[in-house]
Amino acid sequence: MSAQMLTFLSNDGVEITIARDVAERSVLIKNMLEDLGDTDEAIPIPNVNEAVLRKVIEWCEHHKGDPPSTGDDDDSRRKTTDIDEWDQKFMQVDQEMLFEIILAANYLDIKGLLDVGCKTVANMIKGKSPEEIRKTFNIQNDFTPEEEDQIRRENEWAEDR
Amino acid sequence: MARRSSRSAPSPLLPPHEPTDTYSAELPDAPSLSATFRLDEGYSDETKSQAEKDLAILAADEWMTLQEWVLTHSETERAELAYNLLRSMRASTVASVIERLAPRLHMDPVQKLPPEITSEIFSYLDPQTLLMAALASRAWRNRISDSRLWKDLYINEGWRVDMDAIRTFEQEHSGLTSPQLRKSRSRHTDPDSGEPKQKKRVPPSWLNSRIAETPGRKARQETGQRHDVQEADTEGDQYMGEASTERGTLFTPEQQMTSPTRRRESQSTMTQPKPTLTGPLATMRRPNSSLLIRMPNGAAKINWLHLYRLRRKLEENWAKGRFTNFQLPHPSHMEEAHQECVYAIQFTGKWLVSGSRDKTLRVWDLDTRRLWHPPLLGHTKSVLCLQFDPRPSEDIIVSGSSDKSVIIWRFSTGEKLHEIAAAHDDSVLNLRFDERYIVTCSKDTLIKVWSRHQLSAADKDYPSVFFGSGVTYPSYIVDTAEMPYPILEAEIANGHIQSLAPYTLLMTIDGHTAAVNAIQLNEDEIVSASGDRLIKVWNLRNGACKKTVIGHEKGIACVQVDNRRIISGSNDDTVRIFDHASGAEVACLHGHGNLVRTVQAGFGDPPGAEETLRLEALAVDNAFRDAQLAGTNVDLGPRALRRAGYQQNTTGSRDPRDIKALGAKIPPGGGGSRWARIVSGSYDESIIIWKKCKEGRWVVGQRLRQEDAAASAAYVAFDSAARAATARSNAFAQQQQQQQQQHPQGASAAAAAAQGQPTPTAAVPPPAPQGGGGGPLQTLQALTARLAGQAQPQQPGGTVPSRAQPQPQPPVNGTVNPVLHPHPPPPQQQQQQQHSQHHRPRHHQARNDRDPSTIPTSRVFKLQFDAHKIICSSQDPRIVGWDFVGDDEELREACQFFRCL
Repeated sequence: MSAQMLTFLSNDGVEITIARDVAERSVLIKNMLEDLGDTDEAIPIPNVNEAVLRKVIEWCEHHKGDPPSTGDDDDSRRKTTDIDEWDQKFMQVDQEMLFEIILAANYLDIKGLLDVGCKTVANMIKGKSPEEIRKTFNIQNDFTPEEEDQIRRENEWAEDR
Repeated sequence: MARRSSRSAPSPLLPPHEPTDTYSAELPDAPSLSATFRLDEGYSDETKSQAEKDLAILAADEWMTLQEWVLTHSETERAELAYNLLRSMRASTVASVIERLAPRLHMDPVQKLPPEITSEIFSYLDPQTLLMAALASRAWRNRISDSRLWKDLYINEGWRVDMDAIRTFEQEHSGLTSPQLRKSRSRHTDPDSGEPKQKKRVPPSWLNSRIAETPGRKARQETGQRHDVQEADTEGDQYMGEASTERGTLFTPEQQMTSPTRRRESQSTMTQPKPTLTGPLATMRRPNSSLLIRMPNGAAKINWLHLYRLRRKLEENWAKGRFTNFQLPHPSHMEEAHQECVYAIQFTGKWLVSGSRDKTLRVWDLDTRRLWHPPLLGHTKSVLCLQFDPRPSEDIIVSGSSDKSVIIWRFSTGEKLHEIAAAHDDSVLNLRFDERYIVTCSKDTLIKVWSRHQLSAADKDYPSVFFGSGVTYPSYIVDTAEMPYPILEAEIANGHIQSLAPYTLLMTIDGHTAAVNAIQLNEDEIVSASGDRLIKVWNLRNGACKKTVIGHEKGIACVQVDNRRIISGSNDDTVRIFDHASGAEVACLHGHGNLVRTVQAGFGDPPGAEETLRLEALAVDNAFRDAQLAGTNVDLGPRALRRAGYQQNTTGSRDPRDIKALGAKIPPGGGGSRWARIVSGSYDESIIIWKKCKEGRWVVGQRLRQEDAAASAAYVAFDSAARAATARSNAFAQQQQQQQQQHPQGASAAAAAAQGQPTPTAAVPPPAPQGGGGGPLQTLQALTARLAGQAQPQQPGGTVPSRAQPQPQPPVNGTVNPVLHPHPPPPQQQQQQQHSQHHRPRHHQARNDRDPSTIPTSRVFKLQFDAHKIICSSQDPRIVGWDFVGDDEELREACQFFRCL
């Protein structure tokens, strides 16, 4: 019987104990445990600091009952940016935290969390003018006004009919 | 916020209001403190642990600056300190600090996240949003220009594409990179020398910022600037591996400072794959470059963003009615034309085969618009139906005739391979074949299934026997289900059961009570449409009737089928759409003024449509039941509703009152993408392009007329011939000019014909207000041309083409009609178009002043459309086409990849 609890070591040196079934929401961890067998030692998570790691674990705890993802190719379904209520609340964090959660989910291979993160960012882009997008993400406009005009003209084909 | 809460905070070093001695000693030195902080702004969000390690070393020296000392404390402690510092300041100072810090709370995902993640984010967005977002910055524009992203967007629009053609095209154009280029990157050989995965793409801004921090790569940086962005992409591959592990060091403040200039330097490289950004450059690009992306290894890949853009343009041309006309035969080779009306056509690739009342079939080359073989002679009466498959593995034409026979021809040579004489007891009205069977239907009310190849009783394509009414099998068909396989094998071996020769009758289906006008094959199903007003679905393997679809009020002339819908046109002047699964009628389109003889539909279902359609249909059913429960009169039926003052909308409305049947697997209108299209041709001598309005209902998009197309095709042909002629010999040019000079007189002839001989069709209802602008404009132009023609006195020598007797005619040079509007008309013109719509019904009204003695001249018999053109045959011996590419060369090139909806 495998150990029921695991310990993660964040990149800022904090140990966090976590139930194995929760940890296995991460495909990276799941594969690692399968390849290397059980371990009592703390598993270093080199890319993730404590704050982010705790957030990620919080998400995994909440979603531990979810059916496992059906593999990477459910692209046949049309993509919606709908996010369930709990996840929406969960994602109400500052942008730095949001992006770090996304990066951590990508690194740890937690598809559900990565999807929610990406949808959250997508929703921040939706329905905004370029100027609003720049403001939302603190982007410097490096187009000359002439270039911007020309691109806008080029894009006329895409205007809804 | 979440961050703070999740941190197990040690108790603050300093109680909020009582600074310890250590602090009070240092605090008075405020100027120097703030100076240090300013210098190191942006530092604290970077790797803290690193800083702490350094500090530990410094601490050993027992000397440190105030700032270093501050940094020995935890983030919570520092936050507390910062808070207290701020509290000591004036509100205006606090406000300015907050203002300066505000941007720190907003960060650019394109800088912060690697391309594989931003592309994931962008994949949730629609094209409009993406193009808007691409205006945010160059870096955004680069990420959004990703070809893979647009491939998905293209496919999700429901547009089809010929992947084989794309692969071939890519291969043909690959391998052209200069050797020098290869050398420059030999140090970083790309392991994935094929197609770099989009996931790993890196735009040059990313790359440049990387290069900036890597001395010794200057040479490569220069290379990167000389060549296009895609080279940068693969170089990025290397970095992406690192990016995920050391992202903390990727963007130091220093880099962010220098990057704007770097980006500017790289402008030229960035714009290259998108020549449209720099207008003049666009004309200088090498051929095909806009359709292709060059990979660093020399491979050429299709540029999906551009393909998407071009497809969009093409669909816009359909919607706006921008097209050029052409005709078969070529106007300068009218001697090749059929001698009477053309009942049947089919085209595929560059080939078109037509069958006519003149008893011949003709094979045309669509590129040259010339006859390929001499006419195929064999039938003794009109050729009514045909199908062909030009692939070398098939190489076959099958035709059916009023002479009751079916003839099989070799496509490539035109030679007659086999004749099934007396295939039916009356005219063979339609036929379809697949790799296994030929299915024919006839005025004798029967459907017959024939073998195409030699068939043994053990063969999987051998028919099975169904004991039920409606189907009979010839006596030589054995019921293989009755016989254990070893016995069957033995019987075949000893010759008791003989193989069937090709073109042997396998079964006769007798289920209709009137002529069977049309059939379709759909995998193992036959769908038949009959004068008895019924559509029936049969099992192709045994002839059993699977279902009967009821709806039309008069005989049905044509039918089309896909896995989800059945579409039919009828003598009741309507086109109807039925749910294939339940047989429920989901739409009825009124627009024609006479029998609908031919119809084709393309719904453009995007991937995953099945589920979407089912859910939409369910929602409609539920809305109906809710309305029912709420006591609304939704279930009265059309007549009762009319009495109650409600006219049902049957074009795809989802209003519960408009629902005709429940339990369908597809929603009203039949579902499909917003690009869905139905084209129908009628005895009212018009073709309607139906499109979906924004609310998802079917509306008349364009109304086309064979007559106008023929005139315009002749005009275009002569015009271009004349233009070409100026470059050739004088004598030839003169001849062409003479022909051109004949135009005015031709116009007056046509005008006289059009006005003197109105067509005897039933009243054509005015087009739906949603109709596009192009058609009416043409009508207006044609009208103007006619009026202009009339103003001129008839010139001697002008021949009025005989309209009453269909026969090979010289092209009608009239209705000078430059239909071509390759570019969106300027706003003024658009207004004109809008305006002209009001004229249109009146114009039609004029046409409909009936004169029963007039014989219609261009009843539409058969039409077919593909991604960019409609071709139609009619009472007129000329076969005419509408090509929605216009004169756009780029679009024409891209059309080789486009498939129908």
